[in-house]
Amino acid sequence: MTNESAMTSTPNNITESLTDDIAKEVINAIKAIDGGPRVLKLYMEMCAKCGTCATQCPVYVGSPETRFNPPLRSDLIRSVYKRHKTASGKLLGTLVGARDFNTADLEKWVQDSYSCTGCRRCATFCPFGIDNSVITRKIRGILDKVGLTPETMKRVVKVSLQTRNTDGASPKAFKAAIAFLEEEMRDEHGIDIKIPIDVVGADYFYVPPSGDVLVNPEATMGLAKVFHVLGMTDKWTMSSTCFDGANYGLFTGSDADMKADNKPYVEEAKRLQTKVMLMGECGHAYRIMKMMMEPGKWWGDLPFTIINCMQWTAEHIAKGRLQFDKSKNSEPVVYHDPCNFGRSCGITEEPRMILQASCADFREMYPNRGENWCCGGGAGLSAMDDILGFRMDISGKKKLEQILASGAKYVAAACSNCKRQLGQLMEHHKTGIAVGGVHDMLSRAILIDGKAGERRQY
Amino acid sequence: MNTVKYLVGVILPYVVVPVFFAGMGYRLWTWFKSPQPARMTLFPAGGSTFREVLAEALFFPSLFRADRVLWFLAWVFHATLALVFLGHIRVFTGAADRMLQAVGMTPKGLDAMSGLVGGAAGIVLLAIGLLLLLRRATIARVREITGIPDILATLLVVAIIITGDVLRFSEPFDLVQTRIWAASLIAFSPVMPTNGMFLLHLALSQALIMFMPFSKLLHFGGIFFTQTLIKRR
Repeated sequence: MTNESAMTSTPNNITESLTDDIAKEVINAIKAIDGGPRVLKLYMEMCAKCGTCATQCPVYVGSPETRFNPPLRSDLIRSVYKRHKTASGKLLGTLVGARDFNTADLEKWVQDSYSCTGCRRCATFCPFGIDNSVITRKIRGILDKVGLTPETMKRVVKVSLQTRNTDGASPKAFKAAIAFLEEEMRDEHGIDIKIPIDVVGADYFYVPPSGDVLVNPEATMGLAKVFHVLGMTDKWTMSSTCFDGANYGLFTGSDADMKADNKPYVEEAKRLQTKVMLMGECGHAYRIMKMMMEPGKWWGDLPFTIINCMQWTAEHIAKGRLQFDKSKNSEPVVYHDPCNFGRSCGITEEPRMILQASCADFREMYPNRGENWCCGGGAGLSAMDDILGFRMDISGKKKLEQILASGAKYVAAACSNCKRQLGQLMEHHKTGIAVGGVHDMLSRAILIDGKAGERRQY
Repeated sequence: MNTVKYLVGVILPYVVVPVFFAGMGYRLWTWFKSPQPARMTLFPAGGSTFREVLAEALFFPSLFRADRVLWFLAWVFHATLALVFLGHIRVFTGAADRMLQAVGMTPKGLDAMSGLVGGAAGIVLLAIGLLLLLRRATIARVREITGIPDILATLLVVAIIITGDVLRFSEPFDLVQTRIWAASLIAFSPVMPTNGMFLLHLALSQALIMFMPFSKLLHFGGIFFTQTLIKRR
């Protein structure tokens, strides 16, 4: 077990003069919880300290250290809230768990809030449904306000707001990458399979994580093949300016950044006159669009619907429109439910349908679906290499056990963050297990133009 | 001494009841008016909102899946509390007895049943209360998060259970006297109770009731809000 802390860049430039301003800002932000949102306000007042969440937290189970115990992290702001916003806290102080804020605590705030993977397992098992990830995000949001977001995260947000993608790729680089993918597919199948770009009036607007174009592009190729087989290549498009649904505003806790990052995508969908925004294999991107932006009406009523590409493909598999040669994926394959797809969006069956259709030996890990263990890199942690030891030996420990127990040789995860974390996890522990996406498997097994007259799976 | 007895038995009831209802109402109202921009749905999301939230409040299924031992302790504790709460109706009014006699119970049978069920409940509550305290002290993950308010709340509840048990087991308890006292409170011409142990039990219970809306014990109302918010669409 490593002793490396989840410590990230902390400021050494907090001068005396600034301290008071920072304290005031932090306390005001905590006081503002009194005005909502309702969940957060309830969480400030409800925890019974029963200890159930700790038994379900990937970090605490990975290493049962006091600082990883979820209610204690939440108490960082809960105690200050009690001190300033509850009658009992004002009157009785520490007797009721109230305590005032001290700027010296901020270093601990950074460490503790960036050692929560935001997986929401605690909420699933808490008798009161307390979602500690909401509190973690609030702590991070307050840190962001006073400029204490870890540098890695700050950089990703900045790049994403400037270039509309977290990799900082230009439209030109994107087009070059797409041309490369088309070439790859020509090599694989001997025919032209197009990936349309910037087509106004296309029904489907595909928004992947940029990683599925630039790093692990097989998923995007898989989807292009699906459209090709269906004879719908002229019905979809990607955008050379909006090709990354990843949105780190969710992870830094800044609502302003999250919305600023999101807005160009909605505008682009409107400009393209799209009917369906087809989100890629990226859990938090889909969650923000489907569970936050759309029901929250950030940009009013939308002239398009939002679905995930796995739902779309699974539907066509169910209708028997796609055919596969399972022998192309003969090794055992296990599906990892990304927290943001399974627990937070309820997309659990569609990826399984795709994998069962395209793989000869599909397996489950246990528990799965809504109760699946986090990969250990959730809430943006997988992008932070300065806490690699923490991710490999603590937060990812439970996941490693699950994957090894499944006996699989390939882990399919519908999420760029999970894939990065799992890839590193498998390599770090020398498991020899490959990691990839769901449409990646499909891409390897799908029959184009029904050449070999393969049997139908559905 | 009589001043204290007068405070606990005559004055405090008129303070506790309004404080509890006003406090609880105030908390519910602040939760209710607080804005809710988007639901924090957790999947698998339930189909029937009311039924599932009620099931969660009555049987704690989430806890059951996570920690069977705590589930057993917590569920038996709460269920017994509810039973004891119902049993206390007999302490305050003879109406319950009359109703039960109307359906065929003899006064003697009634006392026997009350003694058996109530006595067992008192022992179960005490045992589980102490086990919950022991759990806080011995299991690291629980000890780490246990603060002064958690210990105080549990100690208060255990003290109420102990005084209640003493009342039940030490001598035949005079229900007539408490019924007269309760009726006198309602008639706004209170008589002062004299039994010292009863007054201690009463004082502690009133402290708990008054404390409830302002402490973590308000989960008894909040659970309907949080579970509705988090698990359902």
